Amino acid sequence: MAGSSKRRVRHLVFLPYVAFLAIFLGWPGLYVFRSAFARGTAESSPMIEAVTGQFRGSFVFSLQLSFISASIGAVIGALVAIAVVRLDTVGGLRNTVVGYSAVAANMGGIPLAFAFLAAFGMQGLATRLLREINVDIIGWGFRISDFWGIVLVYLYFQIPLMTLVLVPALDGLRRTWAEAAQSLGASSAQYWRLVALPILTPALLGGFLLLVANAFAAYATAFALSSGGSRLVPVQIRFFLQGDTITGKTNLGYALAAWMVIITGVLVTGFQLLMRRAERWRR
Amino acid sequence: MKISRLSAWFTIGIVAVFYVVPMLAMTRFAFQRIPVIKLSWGNVFQKWTIQPIIDSFGSPDFQRAASLSITLAIATALTTIALLLPTMTFAHLGSPRTRRFIEISAVLPFVVPAIALVVGFAGAFRDTLPILIRSSFGLVPLYVITALPFTHRTLENGLAALDIRTLVNASRSLGASWWRTIAFVIAPNMRASIATASFLAFTVVLGEFTIASLLLKNTLPLYLSYAQGSNPQGTFGLGIVLVVISTVFVAMSNRFGKKVRS
Repeated sequence: MAGSSKRRVRHLVFLPYVAFLAIFLGWPGLYVFRSAFARGTAESSPMIEAVTGQFRGSFVFSLQLSFISASIGAVIGALVAIAVVRLDTVGGLRNTVVGYSAVAANMGGIPLAFAFLAAFGMQGLATRLLREINVDIIGWGFRISDFWGIVLVYLYFQIPLMTLVLVPALDGLRRTWAEAAQSLGASSAQYWRLVALPILTPALLGGFLLLVANAFAAYATAFALSSGGSRLVPVQIRFFLQGDTITGKTNLGYALAAWMVIITGVLVTGFQLLMRRAERWRR
Repeated sequence: MKISRLSAWFTIGIVAVFYVVPMLAMTRFAFQRIPVIKLSWGNVFQKWTIQPIIDSFGSPDFQRAASLSITLAIATALTTIALLLPTMTFAHLGSPRTRRFIEISAVLPFVVPAIALVVGFAGAFRDTLPILIRSSFGLVPLYVITALPFTHRTLENGLAALDIRTLVNASRSLGASWWRTIAFVIAPNMRASIATASFLAFTVVLGEFTIASLLLKNTLPLYLSYAQGSNPQGTFGLGIVLVVISTVFVAMSNRFGKKVRS
């Protein structure tokens, strides 16, 4: 067996995988960007029109939704993670919470929208129960298909996702560090502020970016909640692909998609880099 | 850590209520024939029925959607394993650089949101290979891509726990072909990881809405969104079934995943 032929065989073996990715991920991605930058007969580049014209509002809406649901989800998810690690001695609790978090973090789409319609819709069970104790959320103007309604639904997968990111990071905090801080006279608050928090910062920030990207790419749940009338960027892209009515403007749809890829790309890269940094303490 | 146990329990309690209430509400809506407005403590246990979901199961549209989704789920899992197992086995035999390359390429799908992927897919293949857009099986490659970050992670964990080089050398020196080695030596050793990756692929396919909806394929989630109007109770019941199935799949993959690591 000659070494070189063996090596050639090995390289050929990667061909199906590489070709598969190139055809079904690379090419569609390139197509989006090529169309997004194709000016055609339009006056300005679709990429510019996508964020300056009528769709600016959609981006603002989508990003606001993502940032707010990620902020609330990150705080609550972090608190849950801390609580779980704190109650580690309680048998089974950790497995239950982490296990359900894995389920809920993957939940989304139509069934989740159904569940929240049944709970917090106009005729929802939770809406009714809250009214029994004189909390009239409908009277306050809360609607499940509105901004804050979608935020509430998104929290269902945002909170557990943060818990999943943070539990391993909290496990990385060694007991000896807390003891060392204590023996040097640090209060519990000082330990958290000066020792634990700086170590956890990359994981917290990384988790936050992941949550933003997660909400930004989500589509099905919001679509099902407001039967397509939503202002989210993904829903706007749908109109472009399906309706050939606005002829000559289809490239605008690709430009919206290209901006989505750019934004999630930045967020996911940030997440990956921060998580690699967070890993450093876990050796 | 000096957070009181009480506040820890309190946090978990509140979040548990938030996790449970929507599922309870959906279950009650699906199986109790009393509108919320007429619900009172007196009739909480009355008029529970499974008739609506039985009607749904009987609907030909549902059966078509369910069999399509199940077929796609199996096809996606098989394609994923057939594509990844040989590739990743060879990557483990090769240099760390190859492994790193595969690892990075496997998280790329995170960067392209489903809506952007399907729009690009439709545009790229509409004129060149329209069969991929017309046929329901055109969804399979997109689902393989969508599930890739999860399935790759799982198989990577499984392979890392094995001594691939020794297994391959033993098998090859006894005269087995590469194909035989992967099918009869590597694959049986990877049973747990292959099962886990398959469950994750199933979960992705059974829940996916965006891609199927833009390519107008009537999978289960699409059926749910359309049938809502005609039989809301039955459709919500199907929603619960879908939640339970994906819960079981995720739970199983957690369990198998643990076995691999230990």
